[in-house]
Amino acid sequence: MTDPVYLDNAATTPLDPRVLESMLAHFEGARGNPSSLHALGASARDALEWARASAASLVGAAPEEIVFTSGGTESDALAVLGLARQALPERRHAVVSGVEHAAVREDARRLQKEGFEVSWIGVDSDGLIDPDEFTAALRPDTALAAAIWANNEVGTVEPVLELAEACAERDIPFHADAVQAGGRVPIDVCGTPVSTLALSGHKLYGPQGIGALYVRNGVWPEPIVCGGGQEKGLRSGTQNVAGIVGFGTAARLAREEMGERVAHEKALRDRILAGVERIPDVHLNGHRGRRLSNNVHLTVSGVEAESVVLFLDTLGYAIGSGSACSSGGHKASPVLIAMGRSERDAFSSVRITVGKDNTAEEVDGFLGAFSTAVAQLRELSPLYAG
Amino acid sequence: MSDSYTPQVVDHLVRPRNAGEITDPSGRGESGDAACGDVAHFTVSISGNVVDEIRYKVYGCVACIAAGSALSELVDGKHVLEAASVSKADIEDALGGPLPAGKEHALTLVLDALHKAFEDHWNRAAGEMLLDDTGERKTGGRSVVAAMSGGVDSAVTALLLKEAGYDVATVTFRLHDGERGSRSCCSPDTVLFARDTAHRMGLPHFTLNLKELFDRRVMRDFVGSYKEGRTPNPCVACNAHVKFHASAFLADELGYHHVATGHYARVEEGPTLARPMDESKDQTYVLWPVPPDLLARTIFPLGEYRKTEVRTIAEERGLAVAYTPESQDICFIPDGNYRGFVRKKVKAEPGDVVDRDGQVLGRHAGVVDFTVGQRRGIGVSASAPLYVTEVRPRSGQVVVGRKQDLEVTEVGVKDLNWFLDAGEAASVQVRYNSRPVPCTVEATADGGWVAHLDEPVVGVAPGQSAVFYTADGRRVVGGGVVARGGREGGIFSRTQL
Repeated sequence: MTDPVYLDNAATTPLDPRVLESMLAHFEGARGNPSSLHALGASARDALEWARASAASLVGAAPEEIVFTSGGTESDALAVLGLARQALPERRHAVVSGVEHAAVREDARRLQKEGFEVSWIGVDSDGLIDPDEFTAALRPDTALAAAIWANNEVGTVEPVLELAEACAERDIPFHADAVQAGGRVPIDVCGTPVSTLALSGHKLYGPQGIGALYVRNGVWPEPIVCGGGQEKGLRSGTQNVAGIVGFGTAARLAREEMGERVAHEKALRDRILAGVERIPDVHLNGHRGRRLSNNVHLTVSGVEAESVVLFLDTLGYAIGSGSACSSGGHKASPVLIAMGRSERDAFSSVRITVGKDNTAEEVDGFLGAFSTAVAQLRELSPLYAG
Repeated sequence: MSDSYTPQVVDHLVRPRNAGEITDPSGRGESGDAACGDVAHFTVSISGNVVDEIRYKVYGCVACIAAGSALSELVDGKHVLEAASVSKADIEDALGGPLPAGKEHALTLVLDALHKAFEDHWNRAAGEMLLDDTGERKTGGRSVVAAMSGGVDSAVTALLLKEAGYDVATVTFRLHDGERGSRSCCSPDTVLFARDTAHRMGLPHFTLNLKELFDRRVMRDFVGSYKEGRTPNPCVACNAHVKFHASAFLADELGYHHVATGHYARVEEGPTLARPMDESKDQTYVLWPVPPDLLARTIFPLGEYRKTEVRTIAEERGLAVAYTPESQDICFIPDGNYRGFVRKKVKAEPGDVVDRDGQVLGRHAGVVDFTVGQRRGIGVSASAPLYVTEVRPRSGQVVVGRKQDLEVTEVGVKDLNWFLDAGEAASVQVRYNSRPVPCTVEATADGGWVAHLDEPVVGVAPGQSAVFYTADGRRVVGGGVVARGGREGGIFSRTQL
């Protein structure tokens, strides 16, 4: 069986061969611990610092403002939990958008358990945060505010600049989850006053298991992982050198190739959109204009997401589903619910995300397969009258 | 347990068997709802008790689609008895092994939808027949329809019959909307539990929807009785009109001979109803209205067992029902608040609380709140405890008196169902959980009967059952409903005579 056509790039991207090549050197031959004094240690340290600088340049940061973590989820935890916990004791309030990735959402819930009051900020039907509503929720006792830069499910790009500026004016730390935005949306921390910003390697054609947190100079989240004091004490533990080098290479390529990647993705995205919108009762979720270059998120009336995903899988196409079906009923996507969609719509939603390596031929093949899958599953569905 | 689907599951997803809908089915069933994320829908055409055609539709995850498809294949062309035996484990086997963790509900969902289609088929076939017909009288064969409530008694009943060599088909009745889980597709459900239990014993399971019949013959009577100052016994009404008739209907449809329930009683020659071996669980008091021709084809296997033995049998055979609690007094009022239930159904009219001489002692909020013999909640203070001695719905009066005012020595009985000659009646039981009192019976001019009691009893309320027993106390001669006396609301009290 040939490899499936991969259209789930928001879940993870393929590893770029150039990234793999850069990493292999750190798996082969002699290696040292970057904290060691000897030459092998120094060599590992050099590789680390090169990667740090590369990662920093993706978002316009200084190298020392980059902390490497095990991934986006850990970066979010260090920022959200770490910033809230280091706030003055009288600051026991957080402002968080209602469309966060589970990483930030669950961190905020953790804060609630720790006694913080959390104001959840709603979105409009396109998933867009209203900056005025967000700003209005900021209070003198707000310890932290957080918003996702670009939504991982529906692909809406949020007005992060306005949110960050509102927080900066009030001296409130602001965390942006840029895991999906990194490499697709121009990010410059000089122009956008975020306090922290999360990135992930495997959304950038880098390896899984590596992430980074931008931490503005002067900002000191309380560490989650304590120990030997690596990464300025913000993330102890011997670094994943090969992973970090992979991240560095991926970040460099993302910066250099962003323009052409985004143009390529947009062309494929719009080709998919034009194709699927010819099928009756298929609706795009998320903002049409303020949208990630690679994201098509659809509600397909009358069919359930998992069945579409696995049906397409049998036809050789890998896409994502928005919800997970489990015992005692589904868990509807909180993002779609926050956008005012029904649970039934949420259960019928799928995500197609293209990448730099996809082709127009693949997209055309997908459109045929998608229409077959939807037609056959609707034939079977008691909830689709057609 | 694996996290991914077997090739068989994926095959059913891509090539679903029997997908679609029969235009003019003999039964249609649906389970789940869109808010839960899964809906399964079956249509069946059944003739001569064979599933001639089956079609299904599913909105839901892959597990639901595949389970529905596999189930349709398992039952297509099969006799209903075989089809109704197909279990969750059978579907899993057909799908090449267990479903991934968290997906097991798919099996319950599609099975429930199919069984609702069977239920619809029976209900359509039943029509009005279910209401009155006592069925064909068939005895002698070794086939039986066993009613299953989801409790331990009825489960062991089915099991004992199976082990005795009977062909057993089980049936659970949907009687009212207050059943556990009947409002939600995702919560524990009495019917689902009973089905699981039957399937684990390898027995076919059916359901019948008797809500309309139960409402008409049991619940409305229950409410109406309070309104009329009578004290109803809904279990008696159910046995008189619902449970046995419905079981017999299904037996006839399947060509089966007997019906069985988990009651503690015996059927002896005649047929006669007799007390069970475990007299502490005796249910003859509520079984008196079963028509003789129905009783003749009824088996009560538990009549030969003690309750403790029944639980032990369930435990030994690994039945999950072994640990279910004792059932409620009145199944459709699970919280036991009868008055609250009645108050929701009828408007209470305030009236006077009077003594036996008609002197007004106070006011009450409605006659529905009172029953003869009641002591609490009268709201009138007196030197000695006051009891309700009479409820007069037409004048709205509640009559109260002393305890001795409740004593009666004659009881009017109507609507009798005799198993033996009335002359054999030697004692009568007039309340649940009380001992029979020696008596003689006498027919009245209006077709009713009067029981002359050898000793006075208290708290005899119109609407309750009066059940007559033979001189040896073992057998039921017959039973009826305690009637009002000649004066409004009165039974024949000693002081009135």
